Amino acid sequence: MAAAALCWALRAARQVLPPPCPRQVRSYYVDWRMLRDVKRRKTAYEHADERLRINAIRKNSILPKELQEVADKEIAALPRDSCPVRIRNRCVLTSRPRGVKRRWRLSRIVFRHFADHAQMSGVQRAMW
Amino acid sequence: KDKSAASKDSSPEEASKRQEDGAETPKQQLLDIIGNMKVEVSYRKKLQQLKASESKKQALNRGEGPDSEGSLPQGTAEDTQRGKPLNPELVKAASAVASSLPRNQKQTESELLAQLRRHEETTDKQKKGGIINLRNVISEMTVKRQTPAQRNVRLSGRISLQLDEDGQKIRPGRSSAQSVDSRRSLKVGKRLNIFTKASTEPEHALKTVSSPTIWDLEFAKEVAAVTAQPPRNGFEEMIQWTKEGILWEFPIDNEVGMEDDAEFHEHIFLDKHLEGFPKEGPIRHFMELVICGLSKNPYLTVKQKVEHIEWFQKYFEEKKELLQEI
Repeated sequence: MAAAALCWALRAARQVLPPPCPRQVRSYYVDWRMLRDVKRRKTAYEHADERLRINAIRKNSILPKELQEVADKEIAALPRDSCPVRIRNRCVLTSRPRGVKRRWRLSRIVFRHFADHAQMSGVQRAMW
Repeated sequence: KDKSAASKDSSPEEASKRQEDGAETPKQQLLDIIGNMKVEVSYRKKLQQLKASESKKQALNRGEGPDSEGSLPQGTAEDTQRGKPLNPELVKAASAVASSLPRNQKQTESELLAQLRRHEETTDKQKKGGIINLRNVISEMTVKRQTPAQRNVRLSGRISLQLDEDGQKIRPGRSSAQSVDSRRSLKVGKRLNIFTKASTEPEHALKTVSSPTIWDLEFAKEVAAVTAQPPRNGFEEMIQWTKEGILWEFPIDNEVGMEDDAEFHEHIFLDKHLEGFPKEGPIRHFMELVICGLSKNPYLTVKQKVEHIEWFQKYFEEKKELLQEI
């Protein structure tokens, strides 16, 4: 009984008080290409160990060649998205594939936009 | 009574010193000295001391006769031994008293001087920290004897204070004396029965909850959500972020989350994991290279390294038929 009353009081209070300041939550990716890139990164992470080991067998001068050919086939059998080469470092905000600075993961346009609005810590217009 | 006590203390000193003169009667001299002196000593102390001194004197003084000359230097020697220069008048008075009373002068003198010393010490103590005596007096409101135990404690405390070479006060002595006094004042007296003793009932065993029910969890979540006010300033915001895990804890600990309890030898000496492999051949050669590489790898945990080797073992076992064809 007391607990129920308290619950009701809490709910009332919560309605009265605003919820704590919400952070920006990204529920959608910018575009499908970004989504595919995300998938590729996930599968690459999952198969990374296997790929490393099979490649160690392949790029070998000690083991017999037959074994290496078998390893070649095995690695080819892995899902295509598991190779890290297919990953493209896109801009995080605009999904732009080119002109992306690695340190900030942003395309040059977005970077310039934020830097001019003084929202990039430690970034200043160059003048010398 | 004070005057008489003082007189008796002061007379032996006088008498012993002026016996050489032999001119005035010791009692007259005593009276003169006492008239001039103002001895501040508590009532009972004096009486006790007098009684003690009298009893001692009666027992001992019948033996030796007047040894004034002998006693003087002894008295002075004792004085110097004590280290504290007594009032010369008091010394004279003590010697006079000793001579006047029919007992062993030396011993009487020594005892009187000892008592005088104690007097002085107590007076000094009272001057310095008379709070204790006042407390006693006020709390009890009747003149009570200072028990010899207390006295001895105080004396010992004093002596220890004086003699301690480090210069540090011996606290326990003092505190025990104070506590003894306070205890006496606290526990003495009728109980007022204002405060009822809190009944310390044995707390009932905690209700054994098998697992917090969903409703309890929800309730807890609601409480947390309501009580969590939005941060008032940047500091509180940072605190909240740190709790959530968004912000690192400063000063930054490079080994957060990394709990590698394995010793270095477990990382480097991985030969023992190579038992499942054939001892000769290219595979062994290959695996030894793998192990060499792993031993130099600081980023993997021991568990990961072992898994690496085991994967290879499994892989080569699967390919055994193929390998034997070769």
